Amino acid sequence: MAYDGNDKVLEEVTGKSYEFGFTTDIESDKAPAGLNEDIIRLISSKKEEPEWLLKWRLDAFAVWQKMKEPDWPHLQYQKPDYQAISYYSAPKQKKQLNSLDEVDPEMRKTMDKLGISMEEQKRLSGVAVDFVMDSVSVATSFKEKLGELGIIFCSMSDAVKEHPELVQKYLGSVVPTKDNFFSALNSAVFTDGSFCYIPKGVRCPMELSTYFRINESGTGQFERTLVVADESSYVSYLEGCTAPQRDENQLHAAVVELVALDESEIKYSTVQNWYPGDAEGKGGVFNFVTKRGICHRRSKISWTQVETGSAVTWKYPSCILKGDHSVGEFYSVAVTNNAQQADTGTKMIHLGKNTHSTIISKGISAGKSHNSYRGLVQVMPSADNARNFSQCDSLLMTDTSGAHTFPYIEVKNPTAKVEHEATTSKIGEDQIFYCLQRGIDEEQAISLIVNGYAKEVLNQLPMEFAVEAQKLLSISLEGSVG
Amino acid sequence: MTGTAEPIVMDLKRAPNVHAATQAKGEALRAALAAQRTGTGLAAEQLDALPVPHRRVERWKHTPVAGFWSTPEAPSVQTIEAAGSEACPVPGLHAYRMVFVNGTFDAKASDLPVHNGVRCEPISMSDADAGSQGPLESTDWFAALNQAFATEGMKLHVAKGVILDRPLLVHHHTSGENNANFMRHDIHIEANAQVELIHWSTASDSSTGMVNIMTHMSVESGAVVALDKVQDEAGSLQHLAFEQINQAQSSQVRVHTGTIQGNWVRNDLNFRLNGEGCETVLNGFFLPKGKEFVDNHTTVDHRAAHCNSSEQYQGILYGTSSGVFNGKVFVRPHAQQTNAYQQNGNILVTDKATINAKPELEIYADDVKCSHGCTIGQFDEEALFYARSRGIGEKEAKAMLVHAFIGDVLEGFAVAEVRMEVEHRLAIKHGWDTWNDTLESA
Repeated sequence: MAYDGNDKVLEEVTGKSYEFGFTTDIESDKAPAGLNEDIIRLISSKKEEPEWLLKWRLDAFAVWQKMKEPDWPHLQYQKPDYQAISYYSAPKQKKQLNSLDEVDPEMRKTMDKLGISMEEQKRLSGVAVDFVMDSVSVATSFKEKLGELGIIFCSMSDAVKEHPELVQKYLGSVVPTKDNFFSALNSAVFTDGSFCYIPKGVRCPMELSTYFRINESGTGQFERTLVVADESSYVSYLEGCTAPQRDENQLHAAVVELVALDESEIKYSTVQNWYPGDAEGKGGVFNFVTKRGICHRRSKISWTQVETGSAVTWKYPSCILKGDHSVGEFYSVAVTNNAQQADTGTKMIHLGKNTHSTIISKGISAGKSHNSYRGLVQVMPSADNARNFSQCDSLLMTDTSGAHTFPYIEVKNPTAKVEHEATTSKIGEDQIFYCLQRGIDEEQAISLIVNGYAKEVLNQLPMEFAVEAQKLLSISLEGSVG
Repeated sequence: MTGTAEPIVMDLKRAPNVHAATQAKGEALRAALAAQRTGTGLAAEQLDALPVPHRRVERWKHTPVAGFWSTPEAPSVQTIEAAGSEACPVPGLHAYRMVFVNGTFDAKASDLPVHNGVRCEPISMSDADAGSQGPLESTDWFAALNQAFATEGMKLHVAKGVILDRPLLVHHHTSGENNANFMRHDIHIEANAQVELIHWSTASDSSTGMVNIMTHMSVESGAVVALDKVQDEAGSLQHLAFEQINQAQSSQVRVHTGTIQGNWVRNDLNFRLNGEGCETVLNGFFLPKGKEFVDNHTTVDHRAAHCNSSEQYQGILYGTSSGVFNGKVFVRPHAQQTNAYQQNGNILVTDKATINAKPELEIYADDVKCSHGCTIGQFDEEALFYARSRGIGEKEAKAMLVHAFIGDVLEGFAVAEVRMEVEHRLAIKHGWDTWNDTLESA
């Protein structure tokens, strides 16, 4: 092979051990393993939930019991034993916190290792962080500042207590409990997550961000996120994930629902870096996420994701373009390595007239990983003048990895214009040669090319995240993106 | 570079997906067939194990099977004369001919090749064992059904280095109601031989039931094969065509599939490129109107290095018709230096027409160039305006655009007479009287 020097960079990029693999020793309050109605009642009572939510959970559980775990994805993994998982764990401290000093020092250390210095973030970056450690939100910043604008940004459990009318109205409205196996499971057992509401006409002045971490060995994490943007509002929401190193597989089955009411805009960015397992794929996180947004008239939802972690990823952030003139976007970079497997993509369902959607997906496969794009573009009879552009490119780094594309295009309207294109290739030797010629060494050349390849997506990320994303891609940018 | 690790997710085994009601209907059909005719005695195990297709089976997601389950009747007509049709559907075609009517060989209407090194005969007259056919490579229930009940078809063997002087036309005609016609063509082309094949299916207006044709082709090294496949069936048939083409080193195969007319048509075209340096071309067009349904499933399985495949399928959908395109390009771990191209273009003309496209890539080798594109749109307004501003009527202008849209595919047909007849029949079907002019100048 002509660019054997690549291997060095690739090894560095791909063979690097997981930096954030550490665990925090905090005593936690943990439910016994297994799932049954009693566990759900326990979760519900621990969270001091109203009766309607308990009923909702139990209904979801009843549905889930009748469902089969999907086997259509292009993934091979040992199906988790859902009865061996503990469905509730919460750090024991329960008292209300007024300042950061009151936070457990252990937990503070974790935050610092993750680079989330609360003070720094408060002071410098203007990012409000809802820090979730193992299912219970322990610290929320900038809440007051946001409160002045009428923006609600809190943990899901607080939202259930303080804003039950909003939660009841929108929870499950985009991802119904019956939607799929994992969303039903999540609906039954979700422990916490974030809730965000932007009132009419408000432009959220800062990026809202939540850090999720899986802590506590053997617990699954079932996050539930609900973002509601009321008419003519705007919000940019960041979600980032890092998880400590584990030996047994951890299950992460989150549900994210976005509601973009008339003329609003939601920008949802994710950097996902769950523990991918060791080089043989042992011990990584199973990431089975259902993410979906609904767009009302003239609204816009934009999904941006950088997927670098997880042993198995099953994730399709989708947009239902219900209102006329609504816009859906999906930008994704998925990097798989070693024995990682990803089956990810999006669904764009065009219902309203003059709806537009754009899909840009960039897959990079290294090691013996498998990276699949699976997408659906559906134009229903009512969606006159719908427009879609999809581009799915794959970059193969090794001859043992795989890159796959499964686009579904279903059109029932003659005025629709749908385009899909996909390419698969390795890094061009001519490109490397071009760089070498100009004195750029091979490592840098590959970094340059990979970054250029992913740039279209990275550019969509908010500043704060873009930096982290690039770090996660583990390739120095060398001045190509500011 | 080494690449010994077998991909773990390739050929994933999934639990059979059974839909009880459909399964029962399929079993009933199988039992009715078994009671009515002597089959080949093959594929019983596969039929037991495979689920009867329904919409929850991925490959049949958009393909309705409800029309299949009427009880089959033995065909009353067995010659082209009795069916009142032409032996050769292509005027002026100078070709060898095999005619099958309702799955029965019509010797009188046929004109078998007399050529050194070429053995061409109906399976019923072949002295080879009935069981000499290759194993079933498809995992489709209907393919297994074909294997179990297809006792007739063409057996073609072309010896090493022989170049057949004329094309060989296989004409299959269907008439009568509640058909269940199974055909199996076994084609073996030895090294460096060359042959042009035409598969042409027709049917009478009142015909109903199922036509199920399996073509098994083995192309040895350096051989060159062109297959022009035309489906022009009146009546309301369910037409299933399976092609399994195995290519050896440096062989070239071109398959062009044109669906002019057909109530319900499914083509399941599979290539296996087993040797290095194969060239594969598969093109097709479909222009369904009314309630017609056309499904093209294609698989190109690159199993060896240095192979090229190129695929282009173009569809224009009128009326309440629906179309399915599912193209899969598979590149196995050692198939380095593969060059695979796939293009699918669709135009929806009316608001009740539907297209479901799924251009897939599954790639397990890194030094490859694979690309696919898929578009769905409508006639270019500007091009229409251009034509109309020069005094061409709307209908004619659209016909010109259609011709341009499927032109690349049409040009690829190996036999010129076939292409002319295809264009002629399309013009009749869609009422384009201007086509002949544009063609003659073309």
